[in-house]
Amino acid sequence: MSNKGLFGFKPDRSNYPEIDKDGKAILDLSSQKYTKLWLGPNHPGVTGNMAVELTISGDEVVEARTHVGYLHRGFEKLIERRLFVQGFPTSIRMCVAEPDTNEYLIAQCTEELSGYADKVPEMAVWLRTLVLELARLQGLLRGVPGQAGTFSLGIGVQWGVYLRDLILDRFEELTGARVYHMYIIPGGVRGLLPAGFKKRLEENLKEIDDFIVRIHQLMFNNSVFKKRSVGVGVIPKEWIDQYGIVGTTARASGVKRDVRKDNPYLVYDQLDFDPPTATDGDIYARTFVRWQELIQTVDLIRQIMAKMPAKGDIRAKMPNVLHWRIPKGETYVRLESGRGEYGMYYVTDGSDKPRRINLRGPSYTHGIALLERMLVNANIADVHAIMVSLQVCPPEIER
Amino acid sequence: MKAIVQEITEKYNLQNAVFQRDNMAFVEVEKKFAIDLVTFLKDYHQFSHFVMMSCVDWIEDGQFQLLYLLHNPALKVDIGIKTYLNRTEPVMQSAHHLWKQIWTYQREIKEAFGIDFPGSPNVDENFVLEGWTEIPHMRRDFDTAAYSEKTYFPREGRFTHDPATYMREKLYPNQPVTAKKNTNE
Amino acid sequence: MNIKDVFTPFTTWSKVVKDPVTIKNPIGREAAPRYRGFHKNDVEACIGCGTCEAICENKAIDLVPYKDPVSGDSGLRPRIDYGRCCWCALCVDICTTNSLSLTNEYTWVDTDPDNFIFTPGVDKKSWDDKKDGWKKPVPNYHFYGQTRVPMGELHAHERIDSFVEFIKGYSKQQAEEEADRCVGCGICTATCPAHMGIPEYIKAIRNDDMEEGLRILYETNPLPEICGRICTHKCEDVCSVGVNGDPLSIRWLKRYIADQIPADTDKYNDILVTKDIKQNNKKVAIIGSGPSGLSAAYYLALLGYSVKIFEKLPQAGGMMRYGIPEYRLPYDQIDKDINYILSVGVEIEYNVTVGKDITLEQLHKDYDAVFAGTGLHLGRSTRIAGSDHPNVYQSVDLLRDIVKEVPVPVERKIVVIGGGNVAMDITRSMARLQMKKFGEVNIITTSLEDEAHMPADREEIVEAREEGCTIIPGYGPQEIIIEDNKVKGLKVWKCLSIFDEDRRFNPKFDASDERIFEGDMVIESIGQGMDISYLSEDFKKDLEFDPRGRVKTNDRFQSSLPWLFLGGDIIQGPDVIHGIANGHIAAQGIDDFLFGNKS
Repeated sequence: MSNKGLFGFKPDRSNYPEIDKDGKAILDLSSQKYTKLWLGPNHPGVTGNMAVELTISGDEVVEARTHVGYLHRGFEKLIERRLFVQGFPTSIRMCVAEPDTNEYLIAQCTEELSGYADKVPEMAVWLRTLVLELARLQGLLRGVPGQAGTFSLGIGVQWGVYLRDLILDRFEELTGARVYHMYIIPGGVRGLLPAGFKKRLEENLKEIDDFIVRIHQLMFNNSVFKKRSVGVGVIPKEWIDQYGIVGTTARASGVKRDVRKDNPYLVYDQLDFDPPTATDGDIYARTFVRWQELIQTVDLIRQIMAKMPAKGDIRAKMPNVLHWRIPKGETYVRLESGRGEYGMYYVTDGSDKPRRINLRGPSYTHGIALLERMLVNANIADVHAIMVSLQVCPPEIER
Repeated sequence: MKAIVQEITEKYNLQNAVFQRDNMAFVEVEKKFAIDLVTFLKDYHQFSHFVMMSCVDWIEDGQFQLLYLLHNPALKVDIGIKTYLNRTEPVMQSAHHLWKQIWTYQREIKEAFGIDFPGSPNVDENFVLEGWTEIPHMRRDFDTAAYSEKTYFPREGRFTHDPATYMREKLYPNQPVTAKKNTNE
Repeated sequence: MNIKDVFTPFTTWSKVVKDPVTIKNPIGREAAPRYRGFHKNDVEACIGCGTCEAICENKAIDLVPYKDPVSGDSGLRPRIDYGRCCWCALCVDICTTNSLSLTNEYTWVDTDPDNFIFTPGVDKKSWDDKKDGWKKPVPNYHFYGQTRVPMGELHAHERIDSFVEFIKGYSKQQAEEEADRCVGCGICTATCPAHMGIPEYIKAIRNDDMEEGLRILYETNPLPEICGRICTHKCEDVCSVGVNGDPLSIRWLKRYIADQIPADTDKYNDILVTKDIKQNNKKVAIIGSGPSGLSAAYYLALLGYSVKIFEKLPQAGGMMRYGIPEYRLPYDQIDKDINYILSVGVEIEYNVTVGKDITLEQLHKDYDAVFAGTGLHLGRSTRIAGSDHPNVYQSVDLLRDIVKEVPVPVERKIVVIGGGNVAMDITRSMARLQMKKFGEVNIITTSLEDEAHMPADREEIVEAREEGCTIIPGYGPQEIIIEDNKVKGLKVWKCLSIFDEDRRFNPKFDASDERIFEGDMVIESIGQGMDISYLSEDFKKDLEFDPRGRVKTNDRFQSSLPWLFLGGDIIQGPDVIHGIANGHIAAQGIDDFLFGNKS
């Protein structure tokens, strides 16, 4: 896509802002060439509250600053004051989009540090994988059409949210809750599949199959979507390491990074999949990669349902949760969330509570350093689209 | 991986290299060599992905521990570089020139633990807190429960009983449950 | 971009004719059967152990009174503050009684926020009858160990020919694993007659702090080695972990702590800080060195009293030494506990019978107070025909003789009458002697009570059978068959019932179901009586007695003669732990009596 053509007019602002001898932009607000525009903190097109302070010239952003803190509830600190088994119900709030990832990280970290990592029953390992993929699926069902939503293409969002609710129905019957599942517990999981689950899930997946086709027609063969996303928000390949970019965002720029393949966990080494990639690195490429990932996730869920054992224990024999102490140690456990590498640094000191937990979410880098860079020279109409395409989730930044 | 850890152990006179997993090691390095070691791993051993930076308060030892976690995407291995700062005047060399997201971590750690990183962009700005007057909130000596009680109000009408104490008061209030001693104290 | 991209999105219009997917009336939609909604509690099954409160990560649960506490039930019930609850259901997952659950009801509208704090099961709610909702997950999902760490013991064939202690005791790892199962609720403490700090000393095991453990034991029990072996462990009957699983091995854990401290009275004195007790120049005499006497002596000595025990037998311990066989309670362990009590200044005068060698009047004159814990040492006879034959013995006499190393008659075939723990003790002791003498066991023990109602501990019965003893419960002795002036056996009838409608002892028999148990000697073990002949008539007229002939005492075990305190089996029990508790209370009572109620 060029900037020329029918809709491609772009004014020449190469002289704005002026650059000083240190290479910094001269942004003198009193010059009346620039003005401030605040986006947020009320959900500026992302899943959570965050503010973006834009300095604009005309309709072009010349500088962007992010401001977070609207969702800080001190979860890391709160978990430091709780027993090992008490951490997971709090942890899920660190990322609403895929809460199960937090539960898994806490469980895996505590199991690894206490020497129970290989004692988790096989059944529980499969169920964990299933839940993580279902979480990815419900995230993508909202996220893929959500990208079109930032261009005011709302139909796909409505379809997606409906289908997400069907997946939440499955979560409800498996885990006892719709959004905050509290299902993966240190030592295992909290329940077997209910009778008839597989059949109902397959019905949902069939509807999603149809949705995948329709959303392709609606988004990727859509002149408005293409016009707004192709060539916009480009992430060059070199930035991937410079900014610590992960997940589908990295893959859309041609860097194949997927924790499920690179450092396989759970049963991912027994599943057949190949993470999709693209090369353009723009919003269109990122959305298309996620659409392909949607197909792959549905396929993975079907593989898991087919290969999963029929029955088995759901939790390892563990110490009494009230007195469980873990020797001094530290670890970092990562997984591939829908947004990319999601990890937790977990430190124990021999007591019955963690010394420190620290979450590493993709939004921390995508949503601050990278976003501030990408918004420079963007059109204000594209700011939301760029943020959503980076899958910024503020609660995971502030924790 | 083993060879790399061996090499940096000799080069930087490291102590306590721990292989937490086959593909993940934690090493401890003197504060003054920490950024040097991070740079060395990045430039010479292709640990090009900066995973995270973290801080742990070892208040009983009077130290803060900083962690730089590096990932090598080709070998798919991680090395965590730990270094310790004196808790009384915590200052650390900034690493913001190495990766573009590091200033964010340093800004957060400045706010959460009070560790300064001179030269790091925006390091003195608030990160998640606004108008905070207490000690840095992630330090171990910041008591969340006490802060909460001071700042907010408890719900009226909450009271509880310990089963054993309650049963003693109700069932055998006068029976001795300790050995009384007549000592000189 | 091409013209196709302009038209393709219009395929969306195909959905226009489809029915909407929205639910017409979402209010009242039934949640999934596993849904975590509002709490429900079966208050009759709940014992108020408080594990729900302990596990709650939001401090949303309080324990509030529901009814008066009784043994095994604190009478408290959880109250939930929905201003804090996050519906994680950890409280359900840990619930020891499985009484707490969450229903799948999730709508509750109320204009008063204070209503959202309530006690499930007590405050009636519309969802109380709902069946669906979150329950403790299955299978094999437990927050604490359900099964007891097995205790190592000598196999029956290894132990039957000797009096060597056959329970091996826990290793460090075993003890810590067993201690880990404790949920620390403390329900057991109220049931223990001595109200020992059970959760606290179990915690000391988890922390591997044996000295702290010993300090906790001695707060309420100066005979931990003994109790750790032979206590009737009523605590284990009410253990909350035992509601759905094996109760904690509280007795063996107590033994574990005591076993870890070497038999060195100096060390004990250091740990328990009993070296500089200030004397208060008051003297107390104690009659009998059984559990109650030793307990009273110990706690009086700590209070600064000069204490002297008068013991009829040549060694201290009373029934613990002369009644309980060595294979259950080795003598060196008795000595270990007693030597420490002696080390804090308690004196014992042996082979002195109060009432014979020295009168109670004399003790009253020489001492400020007297405590009598003289126990039950007289055997009771069945008084059936033939029971006066010389080859019919009393179990207490034989057990005492075994300890005193007086030769005990052992015949090839023995019949024991009785179903309590003493009957099991004599059965198993005689079996060992038979094994030594004849190389085989041939002993029949019979009791009035049927198998399910035998008063002996279950493990005693099981172990006796493992050792080759025959136990035939449910028969009542009718006659000891004597031919040529020799005991030939015991005639019994099937026992139909033991008590009549007024709950008085009045057994009924079925004479048609008659059996003869052959035996060359018969041992009666149907209970013991007390010998309180040291209470001369002068004193007796000032004392009150209950219908069973026991001296009436107040809650401090003080008789109507204020200087005379009585405790142990002659007042309550019979068992060791009641004696210990009586002694401790009486010590406090004596202190209050002599110094006024200063506590």
